[in-house]
Amino acid sequence: MGENIFVLGTLVAPLAGAVVALLFAKNNHAQRLVGLISSIVAWIFSTRVLLQVHQTGVQTYELGSWSPPYGIVLVADSLGGLFAFMVTTIMIGGMLYTLHSHDRCMTYPVFVPLFLLMEVGLVGAMLTGDLFTLFVFMELMVLASVSLTAISDDQFGLEAALKYILISSMGTLFLLLGIGAMYAALGTLNMADMARILLTGERPFLAPASALMLLCAFLLKSAVFPFHFWQPDFHTTAPTPVSAMLSSIVVKVGVYGIIRLVTLLFIVEAPLLQRWLALLGIIGVIFGSLGALRTYNAKRMLAYSTFAQIGFILVGIGWGNTLAMIGAIVYAFNHAFIKSSLLMLMGVVASYTKVKTANFASIVGIGHKLPPLAGWLVLVGGLSLAGVPPLNGFISKLALIRGGVAQQDWVNLILLVSAGILTLIYMVRAWQQIFQRAPILETTPAKETGDSLLAPMLLISICLILGIVLAEPLLQLVTETVREIGDPNTYISAVRLRLEGP
Amino acid sequence: MIEFMFALAIGMLFGIGVFQLLRRDLIKAAIGFAILFSAINLFFVAVSAFDGEYAPYVSNVEAGRQTSDPLIQALILTAIVVSFGSFSLVLGLVNIISLRYGTVDSNAVNNLKH
Repeated sequence: MGENIFVLGTLVAPLAGAVVALLFAKNNHAQRLVGLISSIVAWIFSTRVLLQVHQTGVQTYELGSWSPPYGIVLVADSLGGLFAFMVTTIMIGGMLYTLHSHDRCMTYPVFVPLFLLMEVGLVGAMLTGDLFTLFVFMELMVLASVSLTAISDDQFGLEAALKYILISSMGTLFLLLGIGAMYAALGTLNMADMARILLTGERPFLAPASALMLLCAFLLKSAVFPFHFWQPDFHTTAPTPVSAMLSSIVVKVGVYGIIRLVTLLFIVEAPLLQRWLALLGIIGVIFGSLGALRTYNAKRMLAYSTFAQIGFILVGIGWGNTLAMIGAIVYAFNHAFIKSSLLMLMGVVASYTKVKTANFASIVGIGHKLPPLAGWLVLVGGLSLAGVPPLNGFISKLALIRGGVAQQDWVNLILLVSAGILTLIYMVRAWQQIFQRAPILETTPAKETGDSLLAPMLLISICLILGIVLAEPLLQLVTETVREIGDPNTYISAVRLRLEGP
Repeated sequence: MIEFMFALAIGMLFGIGVFQLLRRDLIKAAIGFAILFSAINLFFVAVSAFDGEYAPYVSNVEAGRQTSDPLIQALILTAIVVSFGSFSLVLGLVNIISLRYGTVDSNAVNNLKH
């Protein structure tokens, strides 16, 4: 309890890293090292915060010692702590990939600082206890990721970046409108204070409208069905480590926000919101899987797959019972590791082609140029994404399906399982195309060297560990998390609002 | 009356902003983006600026009188800074697109459509 400086540290470490990296603008290798070191420091802090949350309860830090609800407070509860831990862990993978990559965009002096700022935005959005600060951090994350995609080696990156910033700014506008409506209705911006007022049963006229606007903004950030059309372009054209981050942890900000909406702020409206979430999720699952089946580019296939996997998570949130919430959070956690490692592997595969592309036409049979380990990693990642035991994808699918059985929603369950089979089909087909087929020598000119396999190897081994050794502890951790967020009073009392006048 | 005028102004700014954002010309779209952010800022002003009778943080307020809300200024300032940052980023992107494609017609900038 109380003033936990580590909550602030998780946020300040990458921010300081970004500033220090700018000082090394002339020395690109030093910049990448600074990036790696500061992301490791952030990981240490977030691990410590997560441990403390589970030992002594919700950790808070009041910025500038201004007491809530007047000041901004950082709150690491078990949900925010878990998501921040996930973000910082995967960020280490991204930085490790950057360290050994030969992309031209990574030699620009702004690459590492922008990458770290994206982490600041992500961690900040997950740890803040103030709705307006959430908007600021989300916008920081959007601007950093847009800039990173615009400087990508892929010539279409610029176009995708413009498309995304125009669409995402509409989401930002809705977020701001929702925040303004909440402020007009409740007179506070602190999430704990809002939850306290809404729990007393007071229903201001603007509250349901603002719930809908906030929901739309979060759905847009995680690319759910009616707001998904920017996502495959944006995630495909980004530089490899960035697209791995975008597809694994950036989309989780929206998931985090949605979980907060239905468990903390709008508990009365939650059943209605959840019915819609389940519907939108199942549409995403079907169309994402079908889109991944018929696409022409390996990275694009994984982007469509993200669209489907976010659908799985939303269906879990939509079912809304305890088991389904556990499933959704475990799914969000595991999917981040699988998808980031797979996208990095596809980036490694693409880095062996002459023009650096992941189009299936160019990477057929390129596998014989890669180290033999790469094929195994892609196979393990693909099977994990499809949910084959004993990998972590299986654990998350099992947890989710348990929730569906508890809800007795058989139609959606059948659709989810069949989408899982589609995942198996497109991942195994991609693996065969790259590593099993004989190369077409005229159309697939390959280089002798490419990016290092170190970062995806690390992430895939985390996937294996999460599936085999840590599956039970993770489930227990998430069960505890769901029990805690099931009672919004835990969050509200932890923030220690000082409501009487000065 | 003033509430009605505010509502009308916000609505009109929103309408103009959305219309501009959907134009084919990317520069006009970027300007529509800026107009939409002004609409939001005006919305923030409208929801709380005229509640109080006194400036906040002054000592000679009569008992029982309400001071106006100081927080909203900070919010709008932050929103302006964020929107300015995004707006300049959009203009920068449009600038590079105009150099690379030789046009700012969004129908011509469609290489992602395979």
